[in-house]
Amino acid sequence: MALPAEQPPAVLPRFCFVVHALSRLHRGIMGVPSARLGLISQWSDGTGPDDAVPVCSFRLEGVAEGVVVGVPMTPQDLLIDQERAVDRMQSAVALAGTVSAVGLGSLCAVVGGRGDELADRLEVPVTNGGAATAWALLENVRAVSRLRNPSSIAVVGARSPVGQAVVRCLIADGHRVRVDHPRAGKGLDVDVCQGAEAAVAGAAVIVGAGPTGGTVPAASVMPGAVVVDVAIPGTLIGKPDPSVMVLAGEAVAFPAHWRKGVWGWLYHVLSGYGPNQVFACLIEPLVLAVSDRVEPFSVGRKLEASDVAAFGVAASKLGFSPRLATGWNAVDSGALVRS
Amino acid sequence: MSYHTNPDAAVWAKVQDAFAAALGLEEDEVQLDAKLIEDLGAESLDFLDIVYRLERAFDIKIPRGGIEGTAQEEAGEYEVDGILTDSGLAALKQLMPEVPADEFVEGMRVTEVPEVFRVATFYNLVCHLMEQKASGDGAAG
Repeated sequence: MALPAEQPPAVLPRFCFVVHALSRLHRGIMGVPSARLGLISQWSDGTGPDDAVPVCSFRLEGVAEGVVVGVPMTPQDLLIDQERAVDRMQSAVALAGTVSAVGLGSLCAVVGGRGDELADRLEVPVTNGGAATAWALLENVRAVSRLRNPSSIAVVGARSPVGQAVVRCLIADGHRVRVDHPRAGKGLDVDVCQGAEAAVAGAAVIVGAGPTGGTVPAASVMPGAVVVDVAIPGTLIGKPDPSVMVLAGEAVAFPAHWRKGVWGWLYHVLSGYGPNQVFACLIEPLVLAVSDRVEPFSVGRKLEASDVAAFGVAASKLGFSPRLATGWNAVDSGALVRS
Repeated sequence: MSYHTNPDAAVWAKVQDAFAAALGLEEDEVQLDAKLIEDLGAESLDFLDIVYRLERAFDIKIPRGGIEGTAQEEAGEYEVDGILTDSGLAALKQLMPEVPADEFVEGMRVTEVPEVFRVATFYNLVCHLMEQKASGDGAAG
């Protein structure tokens, strides 16, 4: 009897996720996981031609594996010279080795035409996280709306690609939607308000869909309202009434077979979401790498409601699920039921 | 800088392209007198994208702070506690002839300056930087 031939180990789809330093101090320590302290120090501007560092790796056991790669440029560095930022991002992707998809985090997803320039330079799809952000935000808003049953939902930052996708999906769900700019309502059956403050006035459920916030004075939000927010910094300026609940709109719980290692755990924590959840945008390249798609879910301003839905189906199949959370902590749905 | 009163067709087409791509608009929705925030719905990150696309299209470098930076240099005392001084307002009026003078009101805050920006503001800036570059005064891409 012939012995079964040895099967070579399966090669898992690989992805990379490109991030940047959050501060000069952070830039100085980005090299720690790869012991590149000499390369990236606080006193170096970290923008030499080859300056890119591996940060950590993640694995969805048996499904996909990926590496987070860092561009040691602060937000200010990225904004001052977007072209150089894209050059560094390209170097970071090269450092990751062979990958099937590239995802962009934070300002990396904004500079260079929201990923368009990097996409033009690479042979693999580049995705800027918009679909994942929109999916997580939408699912979290839907969960809140099932509990709160609002007469209308206010969307702040409705002109953004994420905002537009969310508005369209909420309309399709049968919700009455308020938007904060006439252009955000073009061709849609929505209530158009003149500005963010007008949009949130009296709204029980508010969606912060803009990429950046600081657009709504907290005092404008009525007591008892729920704000589901993806903006960084947050949509509200100042502290709202204590009865207002502000939820992290992009929080996603990961499946049990998500492996993050020590550096990955640290990355989870330092990225702001804590050890038990991830930013949705991190999983977009993973889902893309595993799927049969050659087109990214989102790049540039391109983000269709159908792409959000397709992403959601694929991510859910892999065991990812949006999570109602404030900061690091999950929120019990009971706390959201209006008393 | 009043290049917008007699726009060059080729330059204008590229400016329109850049705005349309950055803001997700049709090109014919981008008009010289359109206000970026009020009319076109631009948000803060859109300004970043607009600048990037214009820099690429024209091989120029748009300095961070751009118009406001120049106004600060010319005004001397530009603002006090975030409110534009008379000299700050005067400098902005001179640098932005495409904006009706009555939009520069006493008590205007620094943070409100982007609200008066038109597409023409960037058109004029692009033309100015291209002229500088052609005369060898920098602003090369």
